[in-house]
Amino acid sequence: MKKLWNWFRRRELESNLDRELQYHLDRRVSDLVASGVAEGDAKRMASREIGGVTQVQEEVRDIWLTRWLRDFAYDMRFSLRAFRKSPSFTATVVLSLALGIGASTAIYSLVDQVLLRPLPVSEPQRLVLLNWKGEQVYGGFGSYNLMSYPFCREIGRQTAVFAGVLCRAATTVQPSTGGMQRPAAIELVSGTYFPVLGVRPALGRLLNDGDDDGRSPVVVLSYDYWQTQLGGAGDVIGRKILVNRNPMTVVGVAEAVFRGIDVGELPVLWMPATMAAKALPVDPVRDRATLWMQVFARLQPHVSAAEAQAQVQPWFRGMLEEDTRLAAFPKITEERRRRFLASTLEVIPSPQGHSKLHRTLAEPLWILFAATGVLMALACLNVAGLFLSRGSARGRETSTRFALGASRGRIGRQLFADSFLLALAGGTVGVLLAPVAVKTLIAFLPSAVAANGLDAKADPRLLLFAFGASLLTGVLTGFAPAFQEGRAALMSSLRSRVEGASGLRLRRLLVTLQIAFTLVLVTGAALFSRSLNELLARGPGFQTSGLIAFHVDPVTNGYEADAANRLMARIRDGLNASANVQTVGIAAWQLLSGGTWNNPLTILARERIATDRSIHLNAVSPGFFATLGARIVAGRDFEPRESLAESERRVAIVNEAFVHRYLRGQNPLGVRIGIGFGTNVKPDTEIVGVVSNISYRGMREEWEQAYFPLVSDGFRRGAHFYVRFRGSSAQGMDTIRSVLNDADPTLSPGYVRTLDEQVNRSLSTERMLAALSGSFGTLALLLSLVGLYGVMSYVVTQRTREIGIRVALGATRSAALWLVLRDALAMVAVGIVVALPCVWVLGRLLEAQLYGVKPTDPATIAAAAGILSVGAAIAAMVPARRASAVDPIETLRFE
Amino acid sequence: MLILQVVSLEPAHGYGIAHRLEQISRSVVQVQQGSLYPALHRLEQKGLLAAEWKPSETGREAKFYSLTRAGREQLAAEKDSWAKLTGAVQLIFDEGAKS
Repeated sequence: MKKLWNWFRRRELESNLDRELQYHLDRRVSDLVASGVAEGDAKRMASREIGGVTQVQEEVRDIWLTRWLRDFAYDMRFSLRAFRKSPSFTATVVLSLALGIGASTAIYSLVDQVLLRPLPVSEPQRLVLLNWKGEQVYGGFGSYNLMSYPFCREIGRQTAVFAGVLCRAATTVQPSTGGMQRPAAIELVSGTYFPVLGVRPALGRLLNDGDDDGRSPVVVLSYDYWQTQLGGAGDVIGRKILVNRNPMTVVGVAEAVFRGIDVGELPVLWMPATMAAKALPVDPVRDRATLWMQVFARLQPHVSAAEAQAQVQPWFRGMLEEDTRLAAFPKITEERRRRFLASTLEVIPSPQGHSKLHRTLAEPLWILFAATGVLMALACLNVAGLFLSRGSARGRETSTRFALGASRGRIGRQLFADSFLLALAGGTVGVLLAPVAVKTLIAFLPSAVAANGLDAKADPRLLLFAFGASLLTGVLTGFAPAFQEGRAALMSSLRSRVEGASGLRLRRLLVTLQIAFTLVLVTGAALFSRSLNELLARGPGFQTSGLIAFHVDPVTNGYEADAANRLMARIRDGLNASANVQTVGIAAWQLLSGGTWNNPLTILARERIATDRSIHLNAVSPGFFATLGARIVAGRDFEPRESLAESERRVAIVNEAFVHRYLRGQNPLGVRIGIGFGTNVKPDTEIVGVVSNISYRGMREEWEQAYFPLVSDGFRRGAHFYVRFRGSSAQGMDTIRSVLNDADPTLSPGYVRTLDEQVNRSLSTERMLAALSGSFGTLALLLSLVGLYGVMSYVVTQRTREIGIRVALGATRSAALWLVLRDALAMVAVGIVVALPCVWVLGRLLEAQLYGVKPTDPATIAAAAGILSVGAAIAAMVPARRASAVDPIETLRFE
Repeated sequence: MLILQVVSLEPAHGYGIAHRLEQISRSVVQVQQGSLYPALHRLEQKGLLAAEWKPSETGREAKFYSLTRAGREQLAAEKDSWAKLTGAVQLIFDEGAKS
């Protein structure tokens, strides 16, 4: 430490030392003069006695600073000076690295936030998620790993392995504190939620076991909601907040760092699951057969997830047995019962909590992260190439230093300092770029809600990652030229102006590798953009332009059933009466939202069968298909009287995929179906029509679908209106707003958006992959072409004389041009050949993310190789033209 | 150790120390003047010596070194071990003389 301090006050130390030594010399001289020595002799004698002032100074300096530290400081200074002298070189290197580091830091930030970061709770590594593995016979709602509330209470008694068990479900409500209201995410949780997670309150208290009694209309607010909506008011405890117009009492605010256990969702408040009826249209709390919550547990200390899993199986099997004896248990086939009883309970370590994003984004994000890794490697290769060319330009300087007695290690260290400094600079610029990049990335993420939960702040781990990445780059790039320099033969390089062939060989190798890496990235980009184009070209099976959808949920707006029906009728009639509205269709469930209502069906055709997988179901109004522009290919649409509640006749429309899978070769019309698969299901609903395939869950899926009439007094869950209009979509939006305003000025629709936008949202992952892999591919192309250009320029400089002689001997200009181009294209060809097997292997990993194109699609790979070759030809053309313009007389005279 | 001993008598500057060493040891110990300053600076770095600039006997500013507390302890320790060593050597000589 003291030595470092010396570094900063070295000027003061130096002057002090000078004074001290001067004093010594002066005294010695005056003493000697006094004893009768002549002044000149005295001076010489004094200086001889002390052994040379400079040597003493050097020796003392070594004491102030250790040797290597001094050298390092000198290296840094020297490097800085050199960089100032060649700004274009420096800029290229820093920019290459900044792009590589910026891209990988940005993607890593997403990987970290979405996939890796543990929850901000105490000891997150002891958290596990409980998953029902095997046959399910119960229905439910929500996404993934669903369990019932009673199950959560019962497994909470397994205290031998679990220190605590909690359950939670996410839903969307209309919270209101008096002002504007907007739908917001909340979590319905067990009283154990906060204690088991170990979250602390910022204010008041959190929920606890006492709130599970079903008589506690209380909520805990999130810190963000408290700050933004309530201005961080200190007297918020005890205030009432409306949840779907039900008054709830605020008892506390959670600590700021805690934002629920689903990254990407920001619950504004937490309320007891036992109060679910206030937030949901149903009350599933007491029902064993409704699966709607995720169940987490905290392991006892020193119990592993595997041990816990083994220990709870007997209990779980007992519970299954008991379930089958319950009166409410669905009647199912023997086979199915056997599979149900063979189910197991999985205990999955989940320090990151639970999130839909984990599932949908894990693979795309890792793919992109791998792509940035390749990009980073490319940047390193590029920088190494640049260093090599600089090394050969500085060959004479280096040789001179060798000749003056510099050690190999010393020169290697100097080069190392060069790359270290540049990597640091590149890293800094990259880290500065990263937040901007992350912000852009988040915009690509699936839902608007997801954007709220993620931030673009660079956290310490991210910085560490960037720093590590840039240092690694420094080491890697520093290694190549240092190795090169170390080998350079001293005498030969001093004597000749031409650098040995080994440097050129190394640089050719680097460029070839760059070409190979680039082909991998460009092919990936081409595959993703083709997938996206395929999806867009295929479309959702209906006409999206001129279509707007919006959602109205009367219940969360405080309507009772009858009033809700009247409201919906008013909206429908208002729309139909508007001049620029052509038709209106209503559906119970939204299209292209990523979710569906689904259930297996029982089909009674020639024989009674149950579908082998869940059918996607929806309830729609008459005219819904016509509004979308989907064709009725057989039979007919629903009739208005069939959507009356008192309608005797039960009818359904299925899609072509359904017919294809279950009713091939039969007349589907008149076949009867029923929802569910148990032996007690009555297939009493008649298929009256077949509709063309339309995308329901997402753009990729072609799935079996069945539609039922939307019963006109069944609006309890709210409904999604699909409006086909004339004119601009802005006018369409205005019409919809005014109709809604006329119907009820306080009504807030869940969303109003065009179907084109809905399609875009539904393709956000594909879009992200295509856009990002595209930009990575472009960057890679740029980097490798810069590398190629650099090598070719060098080659031309080296061969100027040869070319001059050739031209003098009668070679044509185009022959000279070709000489250089051939060289470049050879490198490209080798690069492509090297890359092809990699493309073939890596392509397989992408398969799940592609649509309508094989990962080994020859046309795509050929196109990528073509782009690369053309780019390479252009990059090589510039030096090649210079070669063809060589004036033979000039060259030879110069020799 | 010799430097510490010289400085322990009174604060001294580099030239003075060199001079004194030569005088005291009656020119037996010839201190290479070139290695004196590095030694002084090393001791200062180690915190055994403290230095300050003040006017010397000729009136010019000179850098005076003095012992710090750590320096004094170090000197005592070294004197002690030196005494032990010389004592032991003496014993061996005495023994050799007897036989």
